[in-house]
This record gives sequence, C-alpha cells and structure tokens, in this order.
Amino acid sequence: MPRTTTVESPGCPPFRALTADVLGLVKVIEIRGEQSGDTAKVVERWGEPDSSKSVLAASILDRKTDPLLGVARKTGLIEVISVINGDLRLSIPNVSQDGTSPKDDPITGLHLFKKQRSESSTRSYTLLTCTTNGSVRIESFEDSKSPADFIRDLSPTMLNVCGSGNILCSKVEEHENYALFAGKGVEVNVWDLQKCTKIWTAKSPPKNSLDIFTPTWFTCATFLCEDDHRKFVAGTNCHQVRLYDISAQRRPVMSVDFRETPIKAVAEDLDGHTVYIGNGSGDLASVDIRTGKLLGCFTGKCSGSIKSIARHPELPIIASCGLDSYLRIWDIHSRQLLSAVFLKQHLTNVVFDSHFHTQDVAGSAAEPQDANEVPFQDEDEAMPTKRKKTSKGHGDSRSKKKKSRKASKED
Amino acid sequence: MGGKRRKADGDGMEGGEDEDSRQKKMKHKDTLLPSTVKNKERRSAILAKLKHQKKVEKRKNSKAREADEKRALELGEELPPKKIPRTIENTREIDDTVCKPDDDELFAGNDADEFSSILKQDCTPKILITTSRFNSTRGPAFITDLLSVIPNAHYYNRGTYDLKKIVEYAKNKDFTSLIVVHTNRREPDALLIIGLPDGPTAHFKLSRLLLRKDLKNHGNPTSHEPELVLTNFSTRLGHRVGRMIQSLFPQVPNFRGRRVVTFHNQRDFIFFRHHRYIFETKESKQAESKGKNSEDGKEAKSKEKVIARLQECGPRFTMKLISLQHGTFDTKGGEYEWVHKPEMDTSRRRFFL
Repeated sequence: MPRTTTVESPGCPPFRALTADVLGLVKVIEIRGEQSGDTAKVVERWGEPDSSKSVLAASILDRKTDPLLGVARKTGLIEVISVINGDLRLSIPNVSQDGTSPKDDPITGLHLFKKQRSESSTRSYTLLTCTTNGSVRIESFEDSKSPADFIRDLSPTMLNVCGSGNILCSKVEEHENYALFAGKGVEVNVWDLQKCTKIWTAKSPPKNSLDIFTPTWFTCATFLCEDDHRKFVAGTNCHQVRLYDISAQRRPVMSVDFRETPIKAVAEDLDGHTVYIGNGSGDLASVDIRTGKLLGCFTGKCSGSIKSIARHPELPIIASCGLDSYLRIWDIHSRQLLSAVFLKQHLTNVVFDSHFHTQDVAGSAAEPQDANEVPFQDEDEAMPTKRKKTSKGHGDSRSKKKKSRKASKED
Repeated sequence: MGGKRRKADGDGMEGGEDEDSRQKKMKHKDTLLPSTVKNKERRSAILAKLKHQKKVEKRKNSKAREADEKRALELGEELPPKKIPRTIENTREIDDTVCKPDDDELFAGNDADEFSSILKQDCTPKILITTSRFNSTRGPAFITDLLSVIPNAHYYNRGTYDLKKIVEYAKNKDFTSLIVVHTNRREPDALLIIGLPDGPTAHFKLSRLLLRKDLKNHGNPTSHEPELVLTNFSTRLGHRVGRMIQSLFPQVPNFRGRRVVTFHNQRDFIFFRHHRYIFETKESKQAESKGKNSEDGKEAKSKEKVIARLQECGPRFTMKLISLQHGTFDTKGGEYEWVHKPEMDTSRRRFFL
C-alpha cells in the first residue's frame, strides 16, 4: 500500500487570477483571504462556451488603473476586456487584412502594450499579434463608443519574422523595445521594435557525438529579467531548456535537460536566475539557469500537460494551468501545493491580477460601487481606481498580473 | 478493573453469564495475545480457540438479527434498519471532478469534443485493428474475438510500419478509430485506442484475458449491432473515456439482436463483458417456508416474473487506463491530458475514472 502522506497545505495568500480555456471562457478565481483556510473559488465567468472561440493567446496589462486583458481566439477575433468586470472594450474581428484565413494561420502570440503609441486623449490600445506563419503586426486601436467600432491606426507596423516554419512562441520584454520569436523550424529571433529590424538570431547547438542533429523546435520562451533584454530562456520540444545570451554567443550558453516530454511553458522568477518549467506530462520544476541545476520539482497530483505558468509579481506564489483542467497555486520556496481549483475545461492561459486588495482602505475616496458602475466611455474622470473589497463583498479587486510576458508567450 | 466490575454490575440483569464470560475473554485477550506466546503448538491452540469464539459470536449475532427481522415481519412492524456495509466504493474520496447533471459546461464540452460527430451519428464508426510488431499465441485469437465484438472493424497486419504512418494511412482511408493490441511475452498486454483524425490516444493495460474458447458454455455472437452498457464513469476523465469507448460502437443498437457489450468501471478498472440475453417469464411461487406459512401461502399464486438470462460470449478482460494523450500517438512530442503518476496514489480511496 503506498505510504499516504497527508500534509496540510498552508493557507494560500489572497490573490486573483484569470484563466482562459478552450471553450473561450474567461474565468476569474479569487481567494479573498478574509479567513485563513479560504479556498479559491471561481468568482466570475465571462463568455459563452463555444469551442470555435477557444482562446489561443492572452496578455494582461497589469496596471493599477484600468487593467486590461487581451485574448486572441481561434476565429481570429481579438478582444480586449476589462479585468475588473469583464466589459468588452474592443473587438477586432480579423487582424490580418491580407486575406489569409485564421484557420490556416492562427494567432500564436498577443501582447498588449503599456505605453500608448499615439498621443491622443482618447484611450487607445496598442497590440502586437503574431501568427503561425510569422506575420507580426503592431497596431494601435482607439477606443470609441462601442467595442465593435474602432479606429485603426493607418500605418501598422508589420514584420515578417520567419520565412519557413511555424512560430510557436513570442515574447515582448518588459520595456517593450525588443521582442523575440521562435518556433518549429525557426531559431530564436530577437527584433528591435522601434527600428523594426532583426538584431539577433540563435544558432542551434552542434551535432552531438553520434552526428545526430535534432531539428529546431522551440515551444516556449521568456526573457530572463526585466532590465536585461539580452538574456532569455527557451524550452524545446526535446525536453531541453536553453539559456541564450545575446552579448555572448549565438549558441545557447546553458542547456538543461528535463525528463522526457516537451517543455510546454516557461516562466522566469523575479530574482533573475530561477525559471519555472512545465512539460507535457504535468511536471513542474524550478531550475537555476545560471548553473543549470534543477532546484526541485513541484509535486502535487498534476496529471495533465502544463500549458501556462504565471508568477505573481509580489507574492511568492506561482500558478499553473493545463490540460487536466485544474488551476494550481504553488508556493515558490517550499514547492508545496497551496490551492487547486477544478475548472472543468482544458485551460490554455493563466494570468495574475496583482492589484487586488482585500482590506478596506480607510477613507478611500471612491466608493467601490460607484467605481464599478462608472462607464468606461467617459474619459479620465472616472478611471477605475484600485478596487477595494468592502466587508460586504462588493467590488472586485483585480490583481493585475505582470504575467503579460508569460501570457503572451503561449504557443 | 473498576470499570469492568461496574459493567458487570450494570448488566447483571441481562445475560450476566454472557457478560461475565465475555469480560473474562476480554481479560484473557488483554493478557494473552497469541503473538506473545512463543510455543507454536500452544500459540496455535490459543488462536484456534479465539477464532472459534469469534465465529460463535458472529453466528449468534446474525441469528439474533434474523430472528428480529422475522418477528418484525410477522407482527407487521417496521423492519429494523438494515446496516450498510462499509465498502471502498462507499468511502471513496470526494472528487470535485465528478460530473454533475446540470453542468452546461459539460454539455458544451461534449459538443466540442472529438467524438461528438460520431455520437451525434453524423458518421459511422470504422475501426482499424492492428497489433504490435511481434504477435503470437493468444494475440491473433484475441484479435478474431475483437473483430466479432466490434462491428465494422477491420484487421490489418502490422508489418513494420511506424505507428505514426499507420495513423496517417487510417486517416486517409476514413477510419474513425485505430486500436493497437500490444503483446508482451506472448500475451496481449496493452490496448491503444487512437481516435482519428486528431482524437485523443488512450493507453490501457489489459489483464485477466479470457478468450471465447476458454469460457465454459459460451455463446456465439451474431452480427447484430450490440447494445452498449457503460457504468460508473463518474468523473470528467471517466466521462471522456466513456465517450471514447462509445465512439467505437454504432449508435443505433439492434435490440432484436439481444446482444449487449458492457464496460463496467469499478475502482479504475474497466471490466469488459459480452453477453447474449433472453427474456423469459418464470413462474415463481412465494418463498417456500415450511410449517406456518404454507397456509398463508395459498394467497401467493405463482407469480410470473420476467427475468433475463445471460449467456456469455466473446472475450472477457479487464482494462486500466495508463495515460490519455491529447492528439494522436506521439510519445515524444505529445502532451498528456492524464497520465498516472505514483505520487497521485495518496490514498486507497482515491480513484480517477
């Protein structure tokens, strides 16, 4: 009989996370944290279950005022939703205007820019979308009265990132000057977004001693730390995690082998040298990428492939979601499972909303209820401030997740 | 000691003799556990006595229970409540992945999954059966049995083709499922069911295989479409596996064929049985009890009961799910929806299907 271990999981700190799944639903999961021992609950569910609208990529704009979540769906539809209450801000039916149908060329990466490109007073959103064939567009859209009605930027920036092969992952670094793209048959490329030029391409590692050359197949990638656009980590289909340094050499600087199934998700930690990797059979581990040492595995009944990992910008927790339909929250240091929520569908993305506060801030000016009802069309005056949770339970706190990096790197 | 004496006093009214002897036994047991005696003969003698006492007590209890029930029946009183034995299925760990009947996401997920086109009868299932590269002894016999169980199944020799190539070939020829029977040590060992075009791949471990020729008094199946019985697939994973099995069979059974195929899930083991049934009316008289009831038995005319008699035909085996992979067979590059890991066996009461 297997030795039964019943370790009481310590309480989970309050957080708010958003997940997207294959039926196109966006669910909000929260732990309020009023009492210890609170379990995570699905607080809201946005969207109707419809498999043609399955979410392929998501990106969160994690800021205090007016945080936004961008989702790219299988039909080519891109929607920008407010994280607080699910209002649809913008709905773009088909980004690419050159006639390729979204079925042949699905979107693999999406990024919502923080900095506004245009100097207008109306709210505008800048999006970077990347499709499988390598066409990348950076476009600005301005908000108008209704979500379906938007004003497109007349001169979007377009890049063609790969000649042959498929792009499976893309990531924009923190200061939004550089972006990387990689995929099947496509080596990692780093592009400068201001000048729209490719500044660096990786070179695959040399043939091994048996003269076997494994074809290039990157499944996920992320920049290593906020300030440095030169180092990034990429996971491959051959269960390897590689660290590249632009300033050093074109071949990978460090390579770590992890188990036997493809690495499906990679996330970096705030300290700049730890990465969390998730693979196709549900193993989640943390690796010190400077030395290449496996720090430890997160064991806890995860039986399905991990599709996305998110690191909370402040609390020491990470969230992982995947094909076993569970959202799991882990503690970073003890590698213990803090909480697990069953969400009934195959999940594709998870992001944290980090501006989530559970205490009442005494004497706060805006009453949460008002802040909720404020229509977003009004400029400037009623920008939704940090939502505070009242004791009555009104108002949503949103935690913005700075996982936009992570989120947009799904394949 | 004081406690024991008090008990004896309190129950002195009732079978004091009984209580006394029981306490003496308890005292005995306290002081003389069989395992403390080193002498084998004496130890076994003590153990035998202990077991005999337990048996006698158990029989006494059950006789008392039966007498109570009979008395209650006669007097027309309420029967004393029947005790429910505690089983592992009763005490199964609470699982929040269990499907609830009012779950609209479940239905939406069902509509969207890979089997919905077959299950909605948009296309008929067509199965390709093949084996692993080395196939011997019981393998071919099992294949012929399977071909008779599953309608519209075709067997192709494996040759030396790669499984991925076979999947492509099957897709081109419009098959809806591919079954690979894997043999290990001259005995069919594993079953790989691959849904096509890009359906999930389920890997089952086979055990306790009994072929038709090994069954006593087996029947011969006909070629009518069988009815399918799938029981106890309660969780979401079980539901998905159940739908996958359902997509192997045609959705319109021929009830006149009186043929039924059962997949019963219990404790994560799926039991496969294949029967032919026939309904018969049987005249059953009231329970014959000698003596008193023969008079009252007059009112009990021979009641006609309709019963179903079963005759087993076809193979009998047990499957256990090892892994469920999203997409067709691709061990190196595939992602798993569910794979069994030893760290998941945290308790004996935890099941996944």
